[in-house]
Amino acid sequence: MAGAIIENMSTKKLVIMGVTLLLFQAFAFMVGGLIAPSPTTAVHYLAAKCVDTSKHRQETKWFMPWGQDQCEKIRSFEEAMAKKIEANNIVFAVHIPLHYNEMSPWFQFMLVILQFDIAFKMYNQIEDGALVTVDVGLAYRDDPTSEWTEMAHSFEQRKLNCNFTTAKTFENEGRYYECDLLPFMEVGSVSHKYYLLNIRLPVNERKKINVGIGEIKDIRLVSIHQNGGFTKVWFAMKTFLTPSILIIMIWYWRRITLLSRPPVLLEKVILALGISMTFINIPVEWFSIGFNWTWMLLFGDIRQGIFYSMLLSFWIIFCGEHLMDQTERNRFSVYWRQVGPIVFGSFCLFIFDMCERGVQLTNPFYSVWASDVGTELAMAFIIVAGICACLYFLFLCFMVFQVFRNISGKRTSLPAMSKARRLHYEGLIFRFKFLMLVTLFCAAMTVIFFIVSQVHDGHWHWGDHEVQVNSAFFTGVYGMWNLYVFAIMFLYAPSHKRYGDEQSSGQCITGDHGANSGEDIQLTTTITHVDAPTEIYKMMGKTAQE
Amino acid sequence: MSQQQSTLPKTGCVAVTRRTMDNRSVRRRRTGAVRHLLLAAAFLACSSQLLVVDANSWWSLALTPIQRPEMYIIGAQPLCSQLSGLSQGQRKLCQLYQDHMIYIGDGAKTGIKECQYQFRHRRWNCSTVDNTSVFGRVMQIGSRETAFTYAISAAGVVNAISRACREGELSTCGCSRAARPRDLPRDWLWGGCGDNVHYGYRFAREFVDAREREKNYPRGSSEHSRTLMNLQNNEAGRQAAYNLANVACKCHGVSGSCSLKTCWLQLADFRRVGEFLKEKYDSAAAMRIGRKGKLELVDKRFNNPTPEDLAYIDPSPDYCLRNETTGSLGTQGRLCNKTSEGMDGCELMCCGRGYDQFKTYKHERCHCKFHWCCYVKCKRCTTLVDQFVCK
Repeated sequence: MAGAIIENMSTKKLVIMGVTLLLFQAFAFMVGGLIAPSPTTAVHYLAAKCVDTSKHRQETKWFMPWGQDQCEKIRSFEEAMAKKIEANNIVFAVHIPLHYNEMSPWFQFMLVILQFDIAFKMYNQIEDGALVTVDVGLAYRDDPTSEWTEMAHSFEQRKLNCNFTTAKTFENEGRYYECDLLPFMEVGSVSHKYYLLNIRLPVNERKKINVGIGEIKDIRLVSIHQNGGFTKVWFAMKTFLTPSILIIMIWYWRRITLLSRPPVLLEKVILALGISMTFINIPVEWFSIGFNWTWMLLFGDIRQGIFYSMLLSFWIIFCGEHLMDQTERNRFSVYWRQVGPIVFGSFCLFIFDMCERGVQLTNPFYSVWASDVGTELAMAFIIVAGICACLYFLFLCFMVFQVFRNISGKRTSLPAMSKARRLHYEGLIFRFKFLMLVTLFCAAMTVIFFIVSQVHDGHWHWGDHEVQVNSAFFTGVYGMWNLYVFAIMFLYAPSHKRYGDEQSSGQCITGDHGANSGEDIQLTTTITHVDAPTEIYKMMGKTAQE
Repeated sequence: MSQQQSTLPKTGCVAVTRRTMDNRSVRRRRTGAVRHLLLAAAFLACSSQLLVVDANSWWSLALTPIQRPEMYIIGAQPLCSQLSGLSQGQRKLCQLYQDHMIYIGDGAKTGIKECQYQFRHRRWNCSTVDNTSVFGRVMQIGSRETAFTYAISAAGVVNAISRACREGELSTCGCSRAARPRDLPRDWLWGGCGDNVHYGYRFAREFVDAREREKNYPRGSSEHSRTLMNLQNNEAGRQAAYNLANVACKCHGVSGSCSLKTCWLQLADFRRVGEFLKEKYDSAAAMRIGRKGKLELVDKRFNNPTPEDLAYIDPSPDYCLRNETTGSLGTQGRLCNKTSEGMDGCELMCCGRGYDQFKTYKHERCHCKFHWCCYVKCKRCTTLVDQFVCK
């Protein structure tokens, strides 16, 4: 036999399998494009300007923008000026969601963006590097008539980054500055029905708090959450994919263990890839419907990170094991130079993620980008991760180049080789080229769809159907990498076809070695020539390492 | 004029007779027409209820203070019947969406304010007259200025409704595309609700165009051409508000990467909408009613107007002198700029009649110290300025 199933499979079967996988792939795209709604929704809110009339500030008082117990509102600040209301008594209130709707755990997460409407006034311009200090409280309730329960309360600073596009003249007074979006809040689970945000902009002239921030006319918020329909489709997909990958993984490992030799590095890496894929697949998110697990967002990030680093490591090791330069590898430590950047880069991103989303577990209003030190630190982590990624791709490209150089080198000498050696190398070349092709295809598809979904925000019309490009991208790409892992585990599993049509190569060796051929066959055919390569090389008239 | 037509059909009838006579386009086409033709037209107009309502008067919502809708008990009709200037269809929409009316008023107000800003240096300065026709009789002429006014007020409504949406003041906001309130929570849970700007656009289309759509003039008539012109300009205004809204996006994928990105529309500063429409005003297309009952270009060499363009059917009247028939207020008493060579210059503004010069003290708040809300400490500066007023 010649190692992996892929080499022993007839072209017909391979084509059938390819077509089946493509059908599944198309199905994955269609599920996202036709059934699921767009992945996320953004909802605008304009904060109502409530007046806190109480003399002594009570911490428990919550201000509702509308509804039965709504607060006393003012429509504009001219009104406040006329009524002599102080800045500290104005509370910006936002109720999430809008009227007659309620939030649901199916929304998975909620993040809120803050925007100020700042009017230009000649005598009240935004100073350079102005900081806004907000005193913000978040409360929830599950019943439209019950009391609000506080969830978080914090003093936050955000840097105003605004510019005024037209000339700063009296003529243009009253126009708005164009300000950058400010990250405001992130909650990892939406387990309550109603949320209420109360924002104050306390002014303290002595301490220079909220001085020189221009004439704020309005506070606008945009809340983003995942759509319930998308979550359902996503969960369904995960629930379906988990057993598929799990079964093929068990099958694959059983095949490996059936071999009389211990598994080689590449086989272990493929298993690890399968495990990380299963890890990402397991639909633990189902629990988020019943439990208030705010760490789910972070957990999802970690799972994805593990899978990505596993996939990248797999490519490196796969290339390395197909180098065909007769160096003894088969040890993880050989690849430290290539895998190092991956691990280090992922670690950097992990730290960054922990800084942002980790801290948000306790304070949903926290943002690394809010402070200068935080911004620099975050940028440093991202840049280091970026350098690692570049390094990795350099290594990978170099390795692929090496493999191709070796392949072309081997090509010329192939006819002169003995049959066993030739088949061995032909197997290696075929396996490598096949994976190379599939990987390139998958990567290209991912990139193309990523670009399409970035350029086309929204949907396409296809007859009467509305195609959600973004959802199709997510389900399609997710399905694609699942199929990729599935195909690798299936095709690169050791073949059992020992006595079948591929006997030739085995026989060739058996002819030379007689009785103890069984093991030798496998040695030649394992993806890397491991345990006793010397013997084969001797047989082939070549001393590998001596 | 004619605002109370539903309660006083008699006055309405008289008003229409007068208007038909005032109507320049009619007068122009039938210059030597016999008097009984006019009488017949007046009779026809009286028999059809729809015609009598003044086409522009929903703008009057900007002038009449609308009480907060929550003051009215559910299903209360008084609000809608009290509001003057609504057409049949608009009144129906008012009953269905009572909470929207105050914002339509706001929108009209924003539109008028912006119109006055954009035309502050022109002979016609978008001034309002104090009755429900809002702009006076000038709007009965299908001129460029009328086109602009329709467009900017439609844009104002888009703006105001979208804003009200975001304030959470409207009960149907966003989710209204499913006109089934019972399924509404399901839609929201499944795919969220549409964008507020989109909702604002759609509602404005329903409401503003309702008046034009319910009219049923014979194809090819001058009234029909006016209806088509209004529809075109309303749409241009709404599109301006909608298209100028810029897309803002936020990346929030793994570690904040852009693998997951959400975008939404953000309304532009209304001043920008005004400027955009002013440009459209300058390049507005002169149209006339064609044989097929559609508007066609007077000068075929130009490109056909897109839905974003303004169109007009009548030449602008002379805004120099006060004219009761056209409704022009004239430029007498208007301030002008002596040094300017443009429209605000005294030469052009006063139509060559000359100007008076006098000195006045101008009081301004200056050296203000401002905090974001509620305190302004200013000094008062007084300057002596020369002012020029048209004779």
